[in-house]
Amino acid sequence: MATRLKPVDAVTIGVGLTGCVAALELADMGLKVVGIERGAGRETVPDFQSPPIHDELRFAIRKAMMQDNVKVAVTFRNKSDETALPIRRWESFLPGQGLGGSFVHWNGQSFRAQVADFIYRTHHLQRYGKKFLDACGPELTIQDWGVTYDELEPYYDRFEYLCGVSGTAGNIKGQIQPGGNPFEAPRARDYPNPALKEPYFGAIFRKGAENLGYHPYPQPSSNLSRPYTNPLGIKLEQCIFCGFCERFACPHFAKASPQTIILPVLLKNPNYELRTSCEVLRINLDSTRKKATGVTYVDDAGREFEQPAEMVFITAFPLNNVRTLLLSGIGTPYDPRTGEGVLGRNYSYQTTGGPTVFMDEGININPFMSSGAPGTMIDDFGGDNFDHSNLGFIGGQYVGSIMTGGRPIEFHPTPPGTPAWGLEWKRAVARHYNHTILIQQHGTSQSSRLNYLDLDPTYKDAWGQPLLRMTFDFPENDVRMSQYIADKVVEIGRAMGGKMVVRGGAKRPYSTTFYQSTHNAGGAVMGDDPKTSVVNRYQQCWDVPNVFSLGASSFPQNITYNYTVTVGALTLWALDTIKKQYLKSPGPLVHA
Amino acid sequence: MRLRRLLPAGVALLLTPLAGITLVHSQSVEHPPDPGRGAVIAAQGVGSGAPPCAQCHAFNGASDSSGAFPRIAGQSAYYLAKQLRDFSGVRSNAFMSPIANSLSTDDDDIADVAAYYAGLDTPFLPLKSAAPEVIKRGEELATIGSAERQVQACNNCHGPGGIGEPPAIPYLAGQYATYIAFELKMWQRGFRKNSTNSMGVIAKKLDDQEIAAVAAYYQQVRSSLETAMPQVKN
Repeated sequence: MATRLKPVDAVTIGVGLTGCVAALELADMGLKVVGIERGAGRETVPDFQSPPIHDELRFAIRKAMMQDNVKVAVTFRNKSDETALPIRRWESFLPGQGLGGSFVHWNGQSFRAQVADFIYRTHHLQRYGKKFLDACGPELTIQDWGVTYDELEPYYDRFEYLCGVSGTAGNIKGQIQPGGNPFEAPRARDYPNPALKEPYFGAIFRKGAENLGYHPYPQPSSNLSRPYTNPLGIKLEQCIFCGFCERFACPHFAKASPQTIILPVLLKNPNYELRTSCEVLRINLDSTRKKATGVTYVDDAGREFEQPAEMVFITAFPLNNVRTLLLSGIGTPYDPRTGEGVLGRNYSYQTTGGPTVFMDEGININPFMSSGAPGTMIDDFGGDNFDHSNLGFIGGQYVGSIMTGGRPIEFHPTPPGTPAWGLEWKRAVARHYNHTILIQQHGTSQSSRLNYLDLDPTYKDAWGQPLLRMTFDFPENDVRMSQYIADKVVEIGRAMGGKMVVRGGAKRPYSTTFYQSTHNAGGAVMGDDPKTSVVNRYQQCWDVPNVFSLGASSFPQNITYNYTVTVGALTLWALDTIKKQYLKSPGPLVHA
Repeated sequence: MRLRRLLPAGVALLLTPLAGITLVHSQSVEHPPDPGRGAVIAAQGVGSGAPPCAQCHAFNGASDSSGAFPRIAGQSAYYLAKQLRDFSGVRSNAFMSPIANSLSTDDDDIADVAAYYAGLDTPFLPLKSAAPEVIKRGEELATIGSAERQVQACNNCHGPGGIGEPPAIPYLAGQYATYIAFELKMWQRGFRKNSTNSMGVIAKKLDDQEIAAVAAYYQQVRSSLETAMPQVKN
């Protein structure tokens, strides 16, 4: 029997980016908030200190910071006529676990989405027409977000200043700024910190891109370029380019994470209580099934608790937001045969994978000396920054030399034809290790009626509940887009002086066996219409208005960029309205 | 051997904002430093006014046990050369700044003398250690950091046991406590600012007792107090 606990005002399911931001905003208002995290508690000191934190085998290969998929995996298949199997070894995407969630092991790549991204369907219909869009793929189910860039801008700003993003502005109030990204959406003011120093690989990319007439700019980064005190009064330090960022935690207080930008303040707030190593099983509903009464969770001793709450925030990794809604019976599950139902619909991913540029032996790249979000890139092929009229696809990618390190187990580029082991392989690694530049192509993936999330009929987690099942393959549109850009990027590689450029680009079928992106998106998407969205523009569930599902599960389709800053902005936007409207008069914030 | 290993890496470490491609890797190849010539500078100084380094740092780079002068033997050539250059600017020091100014960079005096001291494998002096509780506090700061102060472990950058992360980051293991503590205060007060901003930020978070503790810890990590004692057989 579950022990019933004292009621509180709000519960967050997960204590990562969205969970910390939401809790901070509500606890500041005087609400009693409980944060429930399935993983362990952890702090910069002592948990993230070197040398243990620089254990590549433990963290990068064995994924020590990721969701324990012995207990809770995700099952996967490419098509709905296949049988899904559990992913027992994370490769393609890496959902985090533990206090701070994926916002601990992220790289710090800190982009805003573009104006057109939020009015995606409307924009493409206006610019290219319905006929064009249908020709890109009749299966595509792209839609508008229900919120505009202008509405989100102040919250982007707040989140960037919370993180201390280091970058060079490209567009301040419509004025194009030298050195920044000219395709950037207009921002109210500059980044809080200047861009990181440009590594050598970035400088070489800059030269190559400039020679071809593109517009290189430094990658905006939440690895800080200088010491910084954020608006909460928390001090961060300068990134030292240690080369252990993604898949690791920062030992230096130099990467924005819950531990470095929010938790030191939140944990001191008497209105907040953190409970770690507690697995939420479901959100409980009352007999009308239109109101949540709280959550049921199990602690690490196996004891079951019921935590009553006035509001429930699902603040987990996007895939787990969708699973929590499915397990709780909130929203109508999507049926791919009829196209009806919304929960699990419009799951989308991202297209990645660029070329490898092998340089002359005289060029020393020193890839080991890097941060999580360094380097130089172009947005000339991002989103709808280029004319798609004659291309037969929508979407785009950013392109850049943004290498995050040269760690010994993971990084040993060799040209095609090199044996996979033995003396020749070793010689090739020695020859190319310090003379190879990776270029990243990273971009959109359209939502499709063929791709969705639901509960697996066979496989269960450690508590006997069904696993989430992912049915996904890249739409042909995405492959055409990625391959078109791949040709352009080969030209950049040659302009950089590459002796050999091995072409990149996404392919079908999508495979979960190599790393691509941890920007899983959608499945509980936001919008104006309950027939095509699970949550409204404030990420409030249409069906159960005291449940909010925060994060990238709300994206109707995926954007060009790494999405953390957009998730932060959406969270602050939702919380602002909750504070101003919902708390005064609980109920639907939007009437359908 | 050590020298060869360190030098090219040291030069290559330079971050190159918009630098020409050929500039970076050519320097050490065309002008290999001459440790032999560096040894002469260490012993005799240079005509333009720099006294022999050995007067304070000893010919073997161990300096004396006062801790007024750092041990420089085996410190990376990149680091030593950078300090010599910085003494004429961002690392102002009443003793070293005039000396560094009179070393000629054209003649590669700095590179040669740095190469000489970097190549030395000098024994560590036997030194009296601080009280065990002080060492323990210092070790905590060095290896774990301080959650209370929000300060990270020194070893994050200075390497396991403070053995350094050459070429850019100096070893602390076996360095004199007086010197370490003095330099932390220079960072703290802003007199020394010749690196990333990290050291100033960290030093400002530490109080005098913590500085003394961490300095005492690193000094005893590589003291040869026990190994230098003659074996007494019963």
